[in-house]
Amino acid sequence: MTWARLHLLALAEAMRRFAAQPLASGFSIVVLAIAIALPVIAAMALRSVGAAAAGIDTDPHVNVYLALDASDEDVKRVGEALKAHPEAAQVRFIPRAQALAELKATSHLAEILATLDRNPLPHAYTVRVRTTAAERVGNLRTDWSKIPKVDQVLADFEWAGRLGRWVRFGNRLLAAAWLLLGGAVAFIVGHLIRLQVLTHRQEIEVSQLMGATAADVRRPFLHHGAVQGFLAGGLAVALASGLAAWTGYELRALTPDYAMELKVVFLPPMETLTVVLGAAGLGLAGAWIAVARELKRFSVKA
Amino acid sequence: MIQFSSVAKRYPGGHEALRDVSVDIASGEMVAVTGHSGAGKSTLLKLAAGIERASSGMVVVNGQNLGALGETALAILRRRVGFVFQDHKLLYDRSCHDNVALPLRIAGLGREEAARRVRAALDKVGLLARERSNPVALSGGEQQRLCIARAIVNRPSILIADEPTGNLDADYARAIVDLFVSFNQVGVTVLLSTHDEASLGRLGCRRVALNGGKLAAP
Repeated sequence: MTWARLHLLALAEAMRRFAAQPLASGFSIVVLAIAIALPVIAAMALRSVGAAAAGIDTDPHVNVYLALDASDEDVKRVGEALKAHPEAAQVRFIPRAQALAELKATSHLAEILATLDRNPLPHAYTVRVRTTAAERVGNLRTDWSKIPKVDQVLADFEWAGRLGRWVRFGNRLLAAAWLLLGGAVAFIVGHLIRLQVLTHRQEIEVSQLMGATAADVRRPFLHHGAVQGFLAGGLAVALASGLAAWTGYELRALTPDYAMELKVVFLPPMETLTVVLGAAGLGLAGAWIAVARELKRFSVKA
Repeated sequence: MIQFSSVAKRYPGGHEALRDVSVDIASGEMVAVTGHSGAGKSTLLKLAAGIERASSGMVVVNGQNLGALGETALAILRRRVGFVFQDHKLLYDRSCHDNVALPLRIAGLGREEAARRVRAALDKVGLLARERSNPVALSGGEQQRLCIARAIVNRPSILIADEPTGNLDADYARAIVDLFVSFNQVGVTVLLSTHDEASLGRLGCRRVALNGGKLAAP
């Protein structure tokens, strides 16, 4: 008998066992699906946050403000000094008049600003820098503060770094959740298969007496575990996607109020496949462990 | 066909079921193992069928030293030996047909060929009409015959039966004995245990007597 035929028969036997207990099998799959769905939902949430964060300009910028009394000559000299710095990738000049116009256009301060008799804003340079390392940014600030007629140097991208760290923290949390819940899935499947093995205890014993090898006994259980995991994985992705679509509708309605675009990001096809196949693999592993344990106990040999 | 050379069997816990037993059974022979309860009859049969391993000595079946076989090879050897269990070992969650089909399923036989053989085996023991019944619905004698059908369905060259006539009334016992005689007549090596004198007389074959785990003087 060929290998493929043996497995086909084992798969048929596994399906027969599913069909024999439709309610119990269904409940088992739902329990597993919920356990798998939790990290899938967490992964989607994290991706959504990540996607929203990606929409924000997180390139590191340093703003260099000049003294109010800086002349055009000073402006030019400072600009050249900045451009000459090896850490500066791009230098953009923002004249004080333009800064005031932008402030008036983008804020509700227009009325207050109109009452001022002179422009309170200085000339400024926005420099895109090549580093975010705190030490090198510190050095930059020291260097550039020393340039004559430079009043203030602000590196206001710490928040972007913090956001990145939050996303990384979330990723780690997610990895931990995958590990724990993955373990849970393997153990739940193992336990369910163990119950299956106990139900088929007599059949296993008689089969072994009639010449079934350990592999023969194990095979249908392995298929059972893998199919159970596969179906649970599929259901988990469906659950998570359904939930995402449901919450995503409300989230889209909220979006116009915020600068960053919030939307639910579904798992890409490759990762969906990984989740489903991974669940099948965990099911297989759980079944293997459970059957190996029980086989040892039922061993026909003295 | 089956050779025991100085075989001993000790169970965990220290009970010594067999001691220094040497027996030769030729191909196509029929042998009855006799002895009182606890003499070691069942153990001897299980060793011959590869269901248990000897603690010492050598058991050779069909030219294969069972002690040298691994678990898988031993399991595959069991497929070629028909065994009728004293406690039947039937599965009560399925029909008579499916019980008899079990060895064929293990051997990986196709469904149609298996169904054909199952019906032939059930016919041989006179249970074809009960094919779809559950074994629970059968009498003790019928369950015994179902067990025989399962043992012969794979057409083994060796048939081993542990007290096949135990707890049966005389008529049933006679019918069962005649079945074994008929299998032996077509060349099957038969090894069975019994302590029923009437059956032994009807079998008319060589006897191997056990007493306290040892061969008794002939």
